Amino acid sequence: MTNSHKHAASFRDPSGFLFQRKGTLYRQVNEVYRQDYDRLIESGLYQSLLEDRLLLRHEEVDVPPAEKAGAYKIIQPERLRFVSYPYEWCFGQLKDAALTTLEIQKRAMQFDMSLKDCSAYNIQFHDGRPVFIDTLSFEQYRVGEPWTAYRQFCQHFLAPLALMALRDIRLNQLLRVYIDGIPLDLASNLLPGRTKLNFGLLSHIHLHAASQKHYADKTVDKKSVTRRMSRISFLGLIDSLERLVNKLEWGTVKTEWGDYYDSTHNYTATALEHKRRIVQDFIERIHPGNVWDLGANVGYFSRLASDAQIPTLAFDIDPLAVELNYRSVKTNGERCLLPLLLDLTNPSPDLGWNNEEREAFIKRGPTDAILALALIHHMAIANNVPLVMLAEFFQELGSWLVLEFVPKSDPQVQRLLATREDIFPEYAKESLEEIFGEYFTIVESVKVNESERTMYLMQRKMGS
Amino acid sequence: MNVFHTDFLAAFIAGSLLDLLRTKQAYLDPGSGSYLLQLLIAGLLGGAFAIRASWGKIKNFFRRKSNSEEEISSDDEQS
Repeated sequence: MTNSHKHAASFRDPSGFLFQRKGTLYRQVNEVYRQDYDRLIESGLYQSLLEDRLLLRHEEVDVPPAEKAGAYKIIQPERLRFVSYPYEWCFGQLKDAALTTLEIQKRAMQFDMSLKDCSAYNIQFHDGRPVFIDTLSFEQYRVGEPWTAYRQFCQHFLAPLALMALRDIRLNQLLRVYIDGIPLDLASNLLPGRTKLNFGLLSHIHLHAASQKHYADKTVDKKSVTRRMSRISFLGLIDSLERLVNKLEWGTVKTEWGDYYDSTHNYTATALEHKRRIVQDFIERIHPGNVWDLGANVGYFSRLASDAQIPTLAFDIDPLAVELNYRSVKTNGERCLLPLLLDLTNPSPDLGWNNEEREAFIKRGPTDAILALALIHHMAIANNVPLVMLAEFFQELGSWLVLEFVPKSDPQVQRLLATREDIFPEYAKESLEEIFGEYFTIVESVKVNESERTMYLMQRKMGS
Repeated sequence: MNVFHTDFLAAFIAGSLLDLLRTKQAYLDPGSGSYLLQLLIAGLLGGAFAIRASWGKIKNFFRRKSNSEEEISSDDEQS
């Protein structure tokens, strides 16, 4: 055996697959894909996509294949810092992923090639922007044939985007249930009736669903279908999808990045500035290789790390916060910050075949440093998570912890306790220090000026 | 006018559907609904795209006719 481990999600396409060997990820390209792979490179399409950062770069390497039979080449793709999934993306990220996919399809056609699949899992965020990662998705374009990937594009991208924009922003969570995209009949049922008056949505969602249903139990011989799809019709299809995706907007986003944060916190200017300096100082002392900011809101504090070129993930449960954060990343061309949706009380689980294709949130860790600012009261009070379980959770997740303790006297906690019984005797500074002290060494604690809150710098104790 | 266009469109669609339904035999993957829908609306999409792509040229064509003398001299400078 070649001590290689095949990637659990890479089994559907006979063209090749991903495998790990000694901590490095490789892609085996099989003989059946030889012609298309050579065409991808020799036609100039690969280079063209690289120049616009649309496709992930790879190198051809001289290592033994994972499966000798049928192997053509081994390539080593550029390493991604973090793998995220479509159900963790905000509206804007999913929309950009869709537009990137269509842009790649259009570019491919200039080189007589086409995408044979359009899974949203073919896109990852790299240096702040969506990139296509499946090098083996390209096939030769055959004039007359419709787009093989049309169904997948509509289910993975169009349906969730339309549902988020026109029905409810939270409907992207359906992508967690339906790992091959949202079924079109479901999307058709959930979308408002007025969407049938829009030609694009009528065709690509409603009629598409009806057509799928109509032909579901019928057998159709492709060879006896005489109608063809001309190149211009194909381009028209792509153009139609692109115009439709471009027009889909999430109406709630009227507020600005700065305003949103300002309206949700209640620090005085002095307190905010002091907290900022403390977090900055802690980060400099930790000097982490990467940072996870949990409950990051619009990324105000995340940027203390990412602006210093430290790769940072900014997680939040609020779709609007993540959206505003992402827009800011785009506007500023930030490369070290990736905003993502996350509900810490119910983080992404293992999904797919054998529950192994898409990895649970926790398994994609650990990180060097965790920022848990203005967070703990949401977990401990609003969600009844005992402090000891929080400590265990953070310990598993990262080596360093920057924690902000928000005491009961703080107005935000007062609000959480307003309509309920206070069943949290341990939720106090002293017991927090005692409980967390079992899992972390408390390196420093600083009280924030003009505030009741305390900032902690903690280092994980090994072997506890 | 509108009624005429609607009838024509309905007839076109009905005709296309009958055309496709006359096909038979063998096995196709569950993407057949997607495959056939594309063929059905291909003409509409292609036509709309072609028009949109040449819209600039169409507009220019009509504009040139009305400003013929000014256009000719500015064209000379450009070429």
